[in-house]
Amino acid sequence: MIAALGLVLGIVAGLFLEPTVPTWVQPYLPIAVVAALDAVFGGVRALLDGIFDDRVFVVSFVSNVTVAALIVYLGDQLGVGTQLSTGVVVVLGIRIFANSAAIRRQLFKA
Amino acid sequence: MARGGRHEPGDHLPAEGSGREPAPEPGTGGAATARSSVQRNAWTRLASAFRPRVKRGHLLPALLCAVLGFAVVVQVRSTQDTGLDGLRQTDLVRILDDVTERADRLRQEARDLEDTRAAVTAGSGGSLAALQAAQDRARVLGVLAGTLPATGPGVEITISDPRGDVGSEVLLDTLQELRDAGAEAVELSTLDGAAVRVVASTSFVDPADTGVDGPGVVVDGTLLGSPYRFLVIGEPRTLEAALGIPGGVLDVLRQKDAQGVVTQRDQVDITSLRAAPSPRYARPAANDDNDK
Repeated sequence: MIAALGLVLGIVAGLFLEPTVPTWVQPYLPIAVVAALDAVFGGVRALLDGIFDDRVFVVSFVSNVTVAALIVYLGDQLGVGTQLSTGVVVVLGIRIFANSAAIRRQLFKA
Repeated sequence: MARGGRHEPGDHLPAEGSGREPAPEPGTGGAATARSSVQRNAWTRLASAFRPRVKRGHLLPALLCAVLGFAVVVQVRSTQDTGLDGLRQTDLVRILDDVTERADRLRQEARDLEDTRAAVTAGSGGSLAALQAAQDRARVLGVLAGTLPATGPGVEITISDPRGDVGSEVLLDTLQELRDAGAEAVELSTLDGAAVRVVASTSFVDPADTGVDGPGVVVDGTLLGSPYRFLVIGEPRTLEAALGIPGGVLDVLRQKDAQGVVTQRDQVDITSLRAAPSPRYARPAANDDNDK
């Protein structure tokens, strides 16, 4: 409940504050967002499975974001940043699809 | 939001085949009752998750969700800006390369076009100027060669020779004196009679030498009789002074009892022409610089 509230609050804050993205964050923010979305979908799925745990959620959220950003950073240093971030997005996208499929099965049995 | 305890703190991320999925796969023929109960279970959990209650352990996930929403909005906005800000270094380098290459190409194109324009303007201007110069030259040469009528200040010289002692040599001396004094165009005529344009190749011959009878002088094959008249274009005072020097043309004429009268004119019109000779053997030497 308050998680959804927090999400809405964050969106509203982003809409009203209109912050500019710091330069050093700019390459990592999109990947971090996708990783966080993956964590959130996993959380919702766990919730529907009845196995949600806030500690696991927090850890998975933070580690997802961190690892994703780290991979992109490493790719940038190696000169394959574009390809690696594409790869990360693909992997995370697959996981999001899988989680949403599980959620769909839980809710609609289809 | 949470309902279950810490069943498996390990992972809720793997989607498929985790073995923890209570729902049978669609089409596996699971019992209808089991399916409906599981379905109700999921919805119940969802509904209970949205039941308004605050637990301390939920604050951190809520905060993370807030951060996520915030980041999503920020990212979407910065993407909509579509500036160069969000691009990574390699992309920027590539874009810079593209732009530089394009700029080079455009610069080269501009240079070519400027060259073309310069060539065109220089060509047309050059050919116009060359044409103008050639026409001026043709006019000047036409005056000198006697193919064009000429006008300008000068003198008129009338030589009346009642005794017929003025021969070709006197007229030739007169012409030479005029040329020395800067005569530019000369016409020799019998007063109110035949006129001959005097040019470089003009010949003065006594009639006796050509088999022509009569008094006078044969000029370029035309018999001219006294009184003679020179129409000369040049500086009038210089011309008159040249003719009047002691022992000069006028003195000679006086010695021969002929009468020479020099009249300065502001405008002398020389209308007689001479056919331009076309050389049989001589050809212009191929030297383009002469035209300039």
